[in-house]
Amino acid sequence: GEAMSIQTYNGAAIIAMSGQECVAIASDLRFGVQNQTLACDHKKVYRMHDRLYMGLSGLATDAQTLYKRFVFKHNLYRLREERDMRPQTFASMVSATLYEKRFGPYFVEPVIAGLDPEEGHAPFIAGMDSLGAMETAKDFMCAGTNSESLLGVCETFYRPGLGPEELFEVISQCMLSGVDRDALAGWGAVVYVISKDQCIARTLKGRMD
Amino acid sequence: MSRRYDSRTTIFSPEGRLFQVEYAMEAISHAGACVGVLSKDGVVLAAEKRITSKLLDPGHKLEKMYQLDDHIICAVAGITADANTLIQYLRLSAQQYSYAYQEPIPVEQLVTDLCDLKQGYTQYGGLRPFGVSFLYAGYDEHFGFQLYQSDPSGNYGGWKATSIGAKHNQAQSILKQEYKKDISLKEALELTVKVMSKTLDNTTLKPERLEFMVLKKKADGSVGMVALTPDQIGDLLKATEVDKKEED
Repeated sequence: GEAMSIQTYNGAAIIAMSGQECVAIASDLRFGVQNQTLACDHKKVYRMHDRLYMGLSGLATDAQTLYKRFVFKHNLYRLREERDMRPQTFASMVSATLYEKRFGPYFVEPVIAGLDPEEGHAPFIAGMDSLGAMETAKDFMCAGTNSESLLGVCETFYRPGLGPEELFEVISQCMLSGVDRDALAGWGAVVYVISKDQCIARTLKGRMD
Repeated sequence: MSRRYDSRTTIFSPEGRLFQVEYAMEAISHAGACVGVLSKDGVVLAAEKRITSKLLDPGHKLEKMYQLDDHIICAVAGITADANTLIQYLRLSAQQYSYAYQEPIPVEQLVTDLCDLKQGYTQYGGLRPFGVSFLYAGYDEHFGFQLYQSDPSGNYGGWKATSIGAKHNQAQSILKQEYKKDISLKEALELTVKVMSKTLDNTTLKPERLEFMVLKKKADGSVGMVALTPDQIGDLLKATEVDKKEED
């Protein structure tokens, strides 16, 4: 195919949503190189610890490398501080790590979702661009090759105060509709719903095109 | 006469000794004792705390035992500040390996990494050696459960049971007599308590003065460390005292 920008080389769709004492984060499952789809089991959401997950859209190789770097940093943090990182602390670390490469960046857009252990497991959602400019949100955060479509469906279907089961339904519908307008994302999706005591992962069957 | 040869760490004495290294080991022989015992289903590390003042507030942190990675723990004897630096180095080393190879670092490789650092301080730079000895307890898929000991010279060895710090010679001779092949984790714990109780004064043998860490397979099949709570240590001591009384 014709030359594509590096941000659209692999394709991705990520949504994070907050609910009543829970958060959900979802990604599509497509792995492709430009127009060629190569796998439909490539998750883009990574677990940092039981109550902190991160989605990485953009260039797949950068996403993989960054995940490994964050595992490295979080492991050392946990050994020194004898506790898991708070979501906001982790988000700040991600932001700083990305900004270190200000003039030769990682081509990723992270989305972070978790529950804050210090504020009664309050939901936390944040997103940033590839240079680490961070924004937090109370409702939802999207990233990917067609993030505008994702924002559109989220804006329509989201309402605050959803419980884990309802949140799952809403985020799933948003993901499945959103990726249908994106040639480079889709081929199924994975959804994580994180509550105080458990995290449930579910795989969605979607259009495989 | 040999005094002339110990002001520099990086030269031999005429008798072929490295005095600074020996002095470092001397410092460690005054530190709180540590004992390690390897069993077929886990490794036990125990240490004697040297609480210097009632006013000290350690919080939750253990004084002599540290986790290095998910599958490796260690106990230290010697200069605490030196130990803290080396622990940081060990943790970093383990993570660098995991990052590079996406696998947990094999236990001996981590020991070697640190020993290479320690050895450097006996040969280059004119800096004094680190005044710390370590007991490492770890698990990897290549060699299962392992126990290692290292000292300021950078030398290390693999052990079935060993001890460092104060009265380590006494502890070692008891271990030599009592250790048996294919010892279970439970027996290893009992042996460790026995050794501690025989080498420390009985007056100081209270749960608050001891630390225990065990590396073993957890219920879910993964390997991890468990730090015994003061209550659990108390129970362990009571159980061994009962045995001791029966022996007498």
